[in-house]
Amino acid sequence: MDGLIDNLAHGFSIAVSLNNLGLCFIGVVVGTLVGILPGVGPIATIAMLLPLTFNFDPTGALIMLAGIYYGAQYGGSTTAILINIPGEATSVVTVLDGHQMARQGRAGVALGTAALVSFFAGTVSTIVVAALGVPLTKLALLFGPAEYFALMVLGLSFAVVLAQGSLLKAAAMIFLGILLASIGTDLETGEERLTFGFSELADGIDFVVLAMGMFGFAEILRNLENPESRDLVSAKIGRLLPNREDVKASIMPMIRGTGLGAILGILPGNGAVLGPFASYATEKKLAKDPSRFGKGAIEGVAGPEAANNAGAQTAFIPLLTLGIPPNAVMALMVGAMTIHGIIPGPQVMTKSPDLFWGMVASMWIGNAFLLIINLPLIGIWVKLLNVPYRLMFSAILLFCSIGIYSINNDASDVLLTALFGLAGYVFIKFGFEPAPLLLGFVLGRLMEEKLRQALIISRGDFMTFVNNPVSAVLLVISVGIIILAVLPSIRAKKAIALAGTDP
Amino acid sequence: MQNLMAGLLLIAIAAVAGAQGSSLSVGTLRHIGPGMIPLTLAAILGFIGVLLMLMWWRGDRGDSGRWPLRGPIFILGAAVVFGLTVRPLGLTVAGPLLVVVAAFASHETRWKEIIIFATGMTIFCVALFRYALTLPIPVAPWLIGY
Repeated sequence: MDGLIDNLAHGFSIAVSLNNLGLCFIGVVVGTLVGILPGVGPIATIAMLLPLTFNFDPTGALIMLAGIYYGAQYGGSTTAILINIPGEATSVVTVLDGHQMARQGRAGVALGTAALVSFFAGTVSTIVVAALGVPLTKLALLFGPAEYFALMVLGLSFAVVLAQGSLLKAAAMIFLGILLASIGTDLETGEERLTFGFSELADGIDFVVLAMGMFGFAEILRNLENPESRDLVSAKIGRLLPNREDVKASIMPMIRGTGLGAILGILPGNGAVLGPFASYATEKKLAKDPSRFGKGAIEGVAGPEAANNAGAQTAFIPLLTLGIPPNAVMALMVGAMTIHGIIPGPQVMTKSPDLFWGMVASMWIGNAFLLIINLPLIGIWVKLLNVPYRLMFSAILLFCSIGIYSINNDASDVLLTALFGLAGYVFIKFGFEPAPLLLGFVLGRLMEEKLRQALIISRGDFMTFVNNPVSAVLLVISVGIIILAVLPSIRAKKAIALAGTDP
Repeated sequence: MQNLMAGLLLIAIAAVAGAQGSSLSVGTLRHIGPGMIPLTLAAILGFIGVLLMLMWWRGDRGDSGRWPLRGPIFILGAAVVFGLTVRPLGLTVAGPLLVVVAAFASHETRWKEIIIFATGMTIFCVALFRYALTLPIPVAPWLIGY
C-alpha cells in the first residue's frame, strides 16, 4: 500500500502545478457548461476542444479533457433537477426524484445533495483507480494477442448488449465501425485497402472527423427536429445544504451507490450507464416505504448521483490500464492521447508515470473544484439554462468547423465531416445508434492486429482462443451476455431499465 | 419501412466494400492477408442486412420517422460553405457565412439577432483561435494577407 500513497503523492505533485490546476479548472467549468447548455454533449465538446489542446503538454491536455468529461456529469444533474431534462444519459434517473424535489421547493437541497455525494463518490473512485491501476497494468502486460483479442470482443459484446434499441442494429454498427477502421494502408503488406483511389484515405479516416460528423453534426440535426420541452422550475432554489434528516437518509444510499457505480464503471462496454439504474432499483427495494420514490425521495437522488460519478471515473480504468476505451467519450480520449503521441495501454503507466498519476490525482482536484463552482455559483448556471437553442446550434457548428479545420489545416476535412454528419443522420433515422460504431472504429485496428498476431503464433489454429484459459473465459462471458440479452424475458427488463424515465 | 431501408443500406454498404476489396488477397488462416478482415466484415454486414429485410417482411416494420430536409440541407450546407471559403477568404468571411446559412435551418430564426450574433461570434473566434491560441487559420487573406 506504500506504493499507492507514493504514487498518489507523485500524482498530486504534478497535478498541483499552476498550469495543470488551471487546465483542470477550465476543464470542469467547460464540462459543467456543456452539461447544462442544451444540445451539447461531451463527445462533441471534447472533439471541438481537441485542437485547443495542441499547444499544451499531453498531461495538461488530458487533465483538461478528463475534466470536461466528469464536469459534464455534474452539469447534467443540474438540468435533470431544475428542468426535468437529463443533461447526460447517466442522469436519467436523477430526473425522477430530483425534479420532484425541485417542484416541492427543495431544489437547493437536491442540488446540494447531488454535489456532495458526487464529491464523496469522486474521492472514493479516485482511490479505486489508483489502487487498481498497478495490479491491472501488471496483469495486462501478461496478456498475449489472444487474450487481448478476447478482451476486446468482450468489450464490444457489452457495448451491443447495453446499446439502446435493436441488438442486431447495434451489432451491425460495431462491424461497420471495424470495417471503417480497416480503410487505409494495411499494417503488414502496405497495400491500400478500400480507399476508392483517394490518396487522402491512405492514412485511414481521421477519428475526430468521424466522431464530429456522427456526433457533433448529427446531434445538431436531431436536436433541431425534436425541440426539447423544458419545464424550468421558477421557484427559488432555496437552502443548499441538506439538514440532519436529509444527511441521515442519504448516507447509506451514497455509500451503496458509490460501490455499485465504481464496479459497473470498470466493465468494458459502457457499464457506467447501468450504475444509476442499479442504485435506484436497490434503494427502492431497500426502502421502508417504496411509494415515496418518484415523489421527491432524497435517497433517489443521493444513490444514483453517487453511482453516476463513481462510474464516470472508474471508466478510466480500462482505458488507462488496458488501452481499451469502454465508451464513446473514452474513445475520444484515445484519439486525444494518440494526437499527443501516447499509445494508450499498460505501457502508459511505466513510460509516462507523470501523465498517469497526474491525471488520477487531477480527478480528485477536479471534483473539489466542481463542488466549489457548483454550490455557491449555482445561480449563474441557472441563468444559462435560458440560452435559446436557435443561437446555440450555429455557435456549436462554427466551433466544430474551426476545430476540424485546425487539426490538419485542411479544409477538405470539414467537407468529409459534413459527409459523415449526413451518414450519421441517415443511420439515426434508420434506427442505428452511432455510439457502437465509434467504439468498433477505435478498437478495429488493434483487434485486427491482435487477431493476426494470435493466428500467426498458433499457425492458423482458431483453437488458440479456446485453449488459452483467459481468452476462453472472456469469450464464454461474451457469448453468455449476448445470449442472455437475446432471451425475451431479459430483453423486456432491459427496455424498462433503459427507458425507465416514465413515471 | 425503417427495417427494409436499414437492411438495404447495410447490403449496399457490404456490396461497395466487397467490390472495393475484391482485388485484395485474403491470405490463409495461418497468414491472414489484407483482404480477409474487410471482406469478412462486408459479408457479415450483408447478412445482417438480409436479416433486417426478413424482419420487415415478417411484419416487424420498425418506426417510420419523418424526413424533414430543411435541417440537413442548411446545417451540412453551412459546414460545406465554411470548408470551401475558409482557405481563400478567411474566417472573417467563412464565419458569418456559416452562421447565416445555418440560420435557415431553424424556423425560430430572428434575422436581426443573427446578424449581431454572427458578427460577435466571428470577432470572438478570430481573437480566440488566431490570436490567443495562435492556430494558423486564415483571418482575411484579401485584406491583411493572412
